[in-house]
Amino acid sequence: MNQCYGCNTCQSADKPLEAFIRKLPMETSHHRVDSQKTKCGFGLQGVCCRLCSNGPCRITPNSPRGICGANADTIVTRNFLRAVAAGSGCYIHIVENTALNLKNTAKNGGDLKGLHALDRLCRMFGIEETDDHRRAEMVADAVLADLYKPEYVPMELVEKIAYGPRVKRWKELGIMPGGSKSEVFKGVVKCSTNLNSDPVDMLTDCLRLGISTGVYGLTLTNLLNDVLLGEPELRQAPVGLRVIDPDYINIMITGHQHTIFVDLQERLKSPEAVAKAEAAGAKGFKLVGCTCVGQDLQLRGSHYTEVFDGHAGNNYTSEAILATGAIDAVLSEFNCTLPGIEPICDELHIKQICLDDVAKKANAELMKFDFEKREEQSEAIIDKIVEAYKERRGKVKLNLLPEHGNSNTLTGVSEGSLKEFLGGSWKPLIDLIASGDIKGIAGVVGCSNLTAGGHDVLTVELTKELISRDILVLTAGCSSGGIENCGLMTPEAAKLAGPRLRAVCEKLGIPPVLNFGPCLAIGRLEIVATEIAEAMGVDLPQLPLVLSAAQWLEEQALADGAFGLALGLPLHLGLPPFVTGSPVAVKVLTEDMKSLTGGQVIINPDARESADILEGIIMERRGALNI
Amino acid sequence: MKYVIIGAGAAGISAAAAIRSLSPDGEILVISEDTMVHSRCMLHKYLSHERDAAGIRFIPEDFFETNGIQWMAGKKVAHVWPKTSKIQMEDDTVISFDRLLIATGADSFIPPVGDFRTASNVFGLRHLSDAQKIDQMAEGAENILIVGSGLVGMDAAYALLERGKQVTVVEMADRILPLQLDETAGAPYKKLFEQAGCRFILGKSASQTVSDASGKITKVILSDGTEIPCDLVIVAAGVRAAVSCVQDSGIKAERFLEVNEYLETSVPGIYGAGDVAGLSGIWPNAMKQGQTAAYNMCGQPMKYLDRYAMKNTMNFYGLVTLSLGRGEAREGDLVLVREDEKSYKRAILRDGKLDSILLQGEMDYSGIYQYMIKNQVDLSGKEERIFDLTFADFYDIWPDGQYDWKVPI
Amino acid sequence: MKRIMIDAAKCDGCKSCTIACMQAHRETEGTVYDLDLTDVRNESRNHIELAEDGGYRPIFCRHCDAPECVMSCMSGALTKDPETGHVRYDREKCGSCFMCVMNCPYGVLKPDTATRSYVVKCDFCLAHGEEPSCVKACPKEAIYVEEVS
Repeated sequence: MNQCYGCNTCQSADKPLEAFIRKLPMETSHHRVDSQKTKCGFGLQGVCCRLCSNGPCRITPNSPRGICGANADTIVTRNFLRAVAAGSGCYIHIVENTALNLKNTAKNGGDLKGLHALDRLCRMFGIEETDDHRRAEMVADAVLADLYKPEYVPMELVEKIAYGPRVKRWKELGIMPGGSKSEVFKGVVKCSTNLNSDPVDMLTDCLRLGISTGVYGLTLTNLLNDVLLGEPELRQAPVGLRVIDPDYINIMITGHQHTIFVDLQERLKSPEAVAKAEAAGAKGFKLVGCTCVGQDLQLRGSHYTEVFDGHAGNNYTSEAILATGAIDAVLSEFNCTLPGIEPICDELHIKQICLDDVAKKANAELMKFDFEKREEQSEAIIDKIVEAYKERRGKVKLNLLPEHGNSNTLTGVSEGSLKEFLGGSWKPLIDLIASGDIKGIAGVVGCSNLTAGGHDVLTVELTKELISRDILVLTAGCSSGGIENCGLMTPEAAKLAGPRLRAVCEKLGIPPVLNFGPCLAIGRLEIVATEIAEAMGVDLPQLPLVLSAAQWLEEQALADGAFGLALGLPLHLGLPPFVTGSPVAVKVLTEDMKSLTGGQVIINPDARESADILEGIIMERRGALNI
Repeated sequence: MKYVIIGAGAAGISAAAAIRSLSPDGEILVISEDTMVHSRCMLHKYLSHERDAAGIRFIPEDFFETNGIQWMAGKKVAHVWPKTSKIQMEDDTVISFDRLLIATGADSFIPPVGDFRTASNVFGLRHLSDAQKIDQMAEGAENILIVGSGLVGMDAAYALLERGKQVTVVEMADRILPLQLDETAGAPYKKLFEQAGCRFILGKSASQTVSDASGKITKVILSDGTEIPCDLVIVAAGVRAAVSCVQDSGIKAERFLEVNEYLETSVPGIYGAGDVAGLSGIWPNAMKQGQTAAYNMCGQPMKYLDRYAMKNTMNFYGLVTLSLGRGEAREGDLVLVREDEKSYKRAILRDGKLDSILLQGEMDYSGIYQYMIKNQVDLSGKEERIFDLTFADFYDIWPDGQYDWKVPI
Repeated sequence: MKRIMIDAAKCDGCKSCTIACMQAHRETEGTVYDLDLTDVRNESRNHIELAEDGGYRPIFCRHCDAPECVMSCMSGALTKDPETGHVRYDREKCGSCFMCVMNCPYGVLKPDTATRSYVVKCDFCLAHGEEPSCVKACPKEAIYVEEVS
């Protein structure tokens, strides 16, 4: 016997990572896939109802209704709406905090790194004001005002931000959302015990939540972040476990709320902090990116080269990052911070601090971010981490993987930086699409999970399939973390593309997969799509554009997906979202949606088959556009 | 019809029970040297004082009464007379039979090293009587030497360590349990035994002895000259079939009693089963042989097919191991190893079939592997999943609800 | 004899049978609401395996007509009851050698995880004097009791 915890870990698209995890002496999520492989069929189909004390009720041939009389359609859509509402709530929490942080910074005359983005927001919102701090405050106020509206008062910014033809369709369908928080509230009310039983009504609510999530939680969060944290700039950066430098005090960050780190990021590079690190025997502090907040930092990495080491990996890489032994603290403020990191942190004496109580980890210290006390808090955090460093280093054995990942992943891609790269207009890209050098665009977005073939397996395989068919892939979310660690975002990956896409990539020196960063950046993809559609004079469902959340993981992803459907885009999922027990839900999502919004859900766990279907849709749309 | 069975071990007892179920009225006589029916595989539990003699009996106390079987305990058969269908006891009593089963088992082999065969403090560990003698002498013994680290040697070591004795095990091979385990699988057992106070001397054998005036060995001298002081020696160097009662009887026997596939000896009406027949000296096989012999003795022809004996399980200090096959890889074999902190697994596949497998630390639901090996199940395409295979991969079920293996033909 | 019959095609892998078995054999008092699902001492005697075709295969002791486990038992702990046909297990007699685990061709048996001192083996819920708990818990009738000859 050796020291490995267990060799029956799941596969990963990232083979060096898979081998690393298999040899670890501690249990990770990758180990638990096997022991959880027998899944409850009722759960998988979404037909288990626990909404009242008569339950759990499950649908079987001999019991087609729960005790209350709810059939599979009602049970499934109730469960689904509950999940979408929760997911939407998560994103609305993020945009709320982001807007509050921007507002407070503006009021205090703090540093605004993205004045360009501020200009853009003011133009969109129709704000005529000259003082930048005043303008930023007005932008934040406009967002917050919408979030706090009642459900029966439509939000005002939707019409200013979303694409005209879409807004028109949404109005026809009656799905223009009221206040975001109230929409979540209504969603959870609707699906409570013995309230709504109409599957179509509940699915319609999912679309309304999708619009609210997409416009505010995604698109606006990005733009507010840009104002405060600086706009993305194209550059090449190292990714993977190689970014961890054991000579520094390393802080792994997880979550989705980048603005919470504004003060700390600056303070970590202050001479006082560096002196503290040096006194403890380190060269200074480094932030190690993990999950979406790491992606966001990577995206804006050009502004933070001193303190940011690079993005190490996605949610299901977090345990491996910690297992290197070179991480001294985890700062988390939201998901996807896995509960499974806690025993690892305990074992390796890694300090855990939570900055937002919504994501309080059981054995972490809670230091809820307080704008007024941000400076004191940053100091306290630095001191605690220095203590942890002194306490643990020397005691904990290092297990680094310095060859992992690569050093030249293209990052910093956004609707702004990409357009600038193309010469300030989308025309070159539209021309390439029209000529067929780029057959179409696929957004491979969302999460990473361990069950669609393994860690990032379907995501990476599907991406390879798509680029080999000359389809340009844009990514956002934890999918980005897996794809970049597998090397598909390096310029050399061009050779994996089909001949025409490859030629384009090689000419421009870019990879065939462009990384827009965190899942929030699905909002950026929407801006790209909208601007291209506008330039072409068509509506979104006419574009040769598809979405895949191949390895969607959580409720937030379902809310994102609802946004995709509201935009009228085909949405591929590797695993069904616990709805297959309801014939109505399946029909509405996969068929009827086409005539409602133009969108559709496609469920397929096979990379090649999925790529065939998505390519088919792209070809159909090209045909309709006569290109 | 009078059925006589010599031996009350696994084969003899299972034959007696089967004969009774097949022939409600037949006369059945069991003759045994053992004065108590007991499980040889549990002698260590007796020696360790975890159980008394009744606690290692593998049949109910009233087995003979309820089944109407006569039992002659503590008696040794001196000779079998096939022509007259009679057996002669050591006290010259003569007993006739219609059908005879020889299930005399085996006795410990004591190698001719120094005074091993004559000293009064050297024992094998095969019968309850051995265990009783060791038990008695162990009371006053401090340093106990065990020669051989096979399963019997380790059982003895375990039991005496439980009794708080100083135990030294000498093994010729360079590792313990050399026939059952490879180096990796042997190491954790060695560690567990050492933690319990056991001392191992590997790669050496006993070559000389020093005895005192009373005929007790006081020292054993090893092949390299090392002297091991001891007051009790247990020799676990294998067994020899107990064939003395058929010598010069006309029943063919050399090292073992010869039997055909119906377990019949060279003389019709006389059968052999268990260790004495040398087919496969392991508990489940002996039980099955006893049963098979019974069918044939009762006129219901049945072939004995289960000759697979390269199998074992062990459980010392809560560490379990399953070992099937020789564990020796040939060129061209696929050898798969999976190792972690809780388990060590090693499989050898030859031509898409399982040849050997070793599972240590974790052997849940592992019964499928013996079937795969015995029936040479084609595992093509499944080789790499060998440790993950379950019965679900071969699942079939009969109308009466019993499982069966579905394997490609 | 009575046997738990299996219709694997109906199994949805919900593991209700597994929980019912754990509850039926727990050493502590209580209801299924307070059954400690993470305590290895509450092991189930049945288990559901996922087959390669994506279907489920319930693995339950068959109380075989010619039980290999009984044949392999050197302590006399496992016996085939001539009256009921069930394979009975006496934990007190068991020598913890696990030859039965090795000899069950269908991979039904396992050593107990907590102490490695006894075999986790179906007792047909005889102590409860009615239908086996697993059968009562199955929402799909994938397992049911039938008299077989």
